[in-house]
Amino acid sequence: MSYSRVVAAVEIGTSKVVVLLGEIVGDSGLNIIGHSVCSSKGIKKGIITDLDLASDCVHAAILTAEKNAQTRVDEVFLSQTGSHLQGNFNVGTANVSSADGIIRRIDLDQAKQDAKRRTLPNSRTYIHHIQNPFSIDGRQVENPMSKEGSRLQVGYWSVHGDSEMVSDSLRVIRGIDLDVSDMIISSIASGAVLLEESEKENGALVIDMGGGTTDYVLYRKGYIVKTGVVPVGGDHITNDLSIGLRIARKGAEEFKIKHGRAYYQTTDRDEKVWLFGDFTIGDREYSLATITRIIEARVSEIFEIIRDQLKESNLLLPEDIASGVYLTGGSSRLTGIAEAAQRVLGVDSRVAECPDDVAPELSQPEYSTALGLLHYALTGQEDARKAAKPVGLLSRIGSLLNFD
Amino acid sequence: MQLDSLLDLKPDDAPTEPKIKIIGVGGAGTNAVDALDLKDFPAVQLAAINTDAQSLSNSSIPEKLIIGRSVTRGLGAGGEVEIGRAAAEADRAAIEQMLAGQDLVILIVGLGGGTGSPAAAIVAQVAAKTNALVLAFATLPFSFEGARRKRIAEESIGELRQLVHGLIPLPNDVLLQEGEEDTSVLNAFAVADRWIGRGVHSLCAMLLQAGLINQDLSSLRSVFHTHGGRAVFAIGTASGGDYVKQALEELFICPLLHLGDRPSKFDRIIVNVIGGEDLGISKVNAIMTMVSQRFDSREDIVFGAIIDPRLSESLEICILGKADMERRVSAVQAAPAKEVKTFDGGLGFETEISRDSKGPRPVHKTKLSKKEAEANQDEFLFVDDNAERGYFTKTDRNDYAGEDLDVPTFMRRGIKIKLK
Repeated sequence: MSYSRVVAAVEIGTSKVVVLLGEIVGDSGLNIIGHSVCSSKGIKKGIITDLDLASDCVHAAILTAEKNAQTRVDEVFLSQTGSHLQGNFNVGTANVSSADGIIRRIDLDQAKQDAKRRTLPNSRTYIHHIQNPFSIDGRQVENPMSKEGSRLQVGYWSVHGDSEMVSDSLRVIRGIDLDVSDMIISSIASGAVLLEESEKENGALVIDMGGGTTDYVLYRKGYIVKTGVVPVGGDHITNDLSIGLRIARKGAEEFKIKHGRAYYQTTDRDEKVWLFGDFTIGDREYSLATITRIIEARVSEIFEIIRDQLKESNLLLPEDIASGVYLTGGSSRLTGIAEAAQRVLGVDSRVAECPDDVAPELSQPEYSTALGLLHYALTGQEDARKAAKPVGLLSRIGSLLNFD
Repeated sequence: MQLDSLLDLKPDDAPTEPKIKIIGVGGAGTNAVDALDLKDFPAVQLAAINTDAQSLSNSSIPEKLIIGRSVTRGLGAGGEVEIGRAAAEADRAAIEQMLAGQDLVILIVGLGGGTGSPAAAIVAQVAAKTNALVLAFATLPFSFEGARRKRIAEESIGELRQLVHGLIPLPNDVLLQEGEEDTSVLNAFAVADRWIGRGVHSLCAMLLQAGLINQDLSSLRSVFHTHGGRAVFAIGTASGGDYVKQALEELFICPLLHLGDRPSKFDRIIVNVIGGEDLGISKVNAIMTMVSQRFDSREDIVFGAIIDPRLSESLEICILGKADMERRVSAVQAAPAKEVKTFDGGLGFETEISRDSKGPRPVHKTKLSKKEAEANQDEFLFVDDNAERGYFTKTDRNDYAGEDLDVPTFMRRGIKIKLK
């Protein structure tokens, strides 16, 4: 008799709320038993701007998924995004305590604690402490236990968010009487499902381009060394087109999907496209160049921001990103997006493909974050060196919630 | 004061020959006034106000006022808003004199610098105390001019908007879209001057030239009878061929109609058409129908049509619209408005008659208090109001390295998008 539980992976995105239901049987089996997608309301640039509207569409999405799967959700794994997420790299140090200089458990714990000592103001909450390799006297080691040395160090990439905004998203889930078991930032969730271990080892940059935000995670030698959120996404491309071409958002969105390309080329000048293409009143002809130039400016700016942020941390080293750039998220459907990324980042780029074992209808870039959440639900962040939870995160946020 | 200006709305006491003064404030404003071509309207007076004596002396504007000599010794404000403000404060009396006895005052100012931004607000304060209708054309700096100028401009646009009857913002980033492919920076500044020139010319023509359908100052007042609110100005011109259709198309894609913060619906619009003798009443009718349909506020559209015998097969359509969404409704001001309602329509409740009248609409008391709350909310949102953010207008600024990422990249980088 095996134990089974139903996990809902919930991604509250700027344009869509994605819910995947996974049935976890025992410790190893995962079946995706239902999914639903609803248009988001009350969310801009990854942040909940209207709690009631956002709650309504998230609840609708969860209920639809439950109905489709004819089951009830036991727990929720929730993704996080938005420009309020920030990260920093902290290094913890421990002087080896024993007289013989052999490193023991206590030294490891002390180094880890030292790395996490940095406290945040009350308005901020840690979401992840992601462990990086240990080093003994400056030499990097995979496992320092029982090795000899005098100074043990460990690095952590710590991600923290605005407490209010994080608890807003928890409130939405609580509103339907469900508990959030874990929160994972979108980029890490997407990376977990799209990359093989070997790709992480060789170094890879995953860029998840959504409606309102672009989230990225950089793996170097198998470790997450940096994550980031650029609060710009597909909505901005649409808005730019709408303003630049002086058309309504709807027409701009259609242009983007039908004719959009992430970069401009000179032949676009001679190509004409119609707004509606149905000979109705108000239909207008535009040069394709107007569309591609507007998009190119926006898309290359997104990659430039990522490039600059990586450069700033001295992490944009092509030899350390040997597996290249993997693009995902709804906006990665834009034609030519990989070329645009490659031009700016100077690293081999491609649109990521889902692993083969994912059902075809879920092998869409829009689902990678939610799939990643289910991945974490299954593995339970057992792989602690890559994404460890800060202790008592949920209880802390939970107390914030109960406080009101 | 409010009551006085409302009483002016009665059509029968509209002056026959309105006194119009156009005042350029600051360096950019003075340049724009210098560039105006108003030889058709000799009665219109031109004036300039600046802190920089040198630049004023190069101008051919007849009436010049150097402000704040005691503060700057005539050397300009050096981009410092506080200096500009002190300069204008110091010469309030002279500004009052300049504004005395006018019916229509048009302020032209380039926001973002040290003189124009604060001085325009003070000129507007002074003007608000007169009986004149005050309109302002304000250019907003290019993104490449830096975050500081942008911030100054945004702050002063909020201030200025509350003081004048109609503030027409002209974001340079947006106007650049209309220039030629290789517009240099200097030419780029001249683009804004040309837009202002067309707007001012159309306004003067409407008020001073005889027309097929005459409009006068009282019609303009009826559109702009309140302070604050959002004003929109747009122009479409065409000649030859199917010029009516082309001019309308041009008008509807006018970049100024497509700013992010444009109101979705105007409360009142004035449309002015200038054409040659071949512009018959049937063509004018067709234009009216199209414009009414497009702006969807039939009842409150005022039309004017002017025949200029020098033109043929050529048409200019100019619209000025006003949305009162953040009218400064306060308890004190709301009371006289209610007073006028009974005075104006003669009825204590809303009827077709009172709704159609040009005066302020009767407002039910409960509605009023609701509107008040909305108004306050809007004013609050106004603080970092930015004309180019579109869909993102009501979200927090998206600051990154001194730029607002919500503003289209192509605009911030000055990439020109040709629609024709």
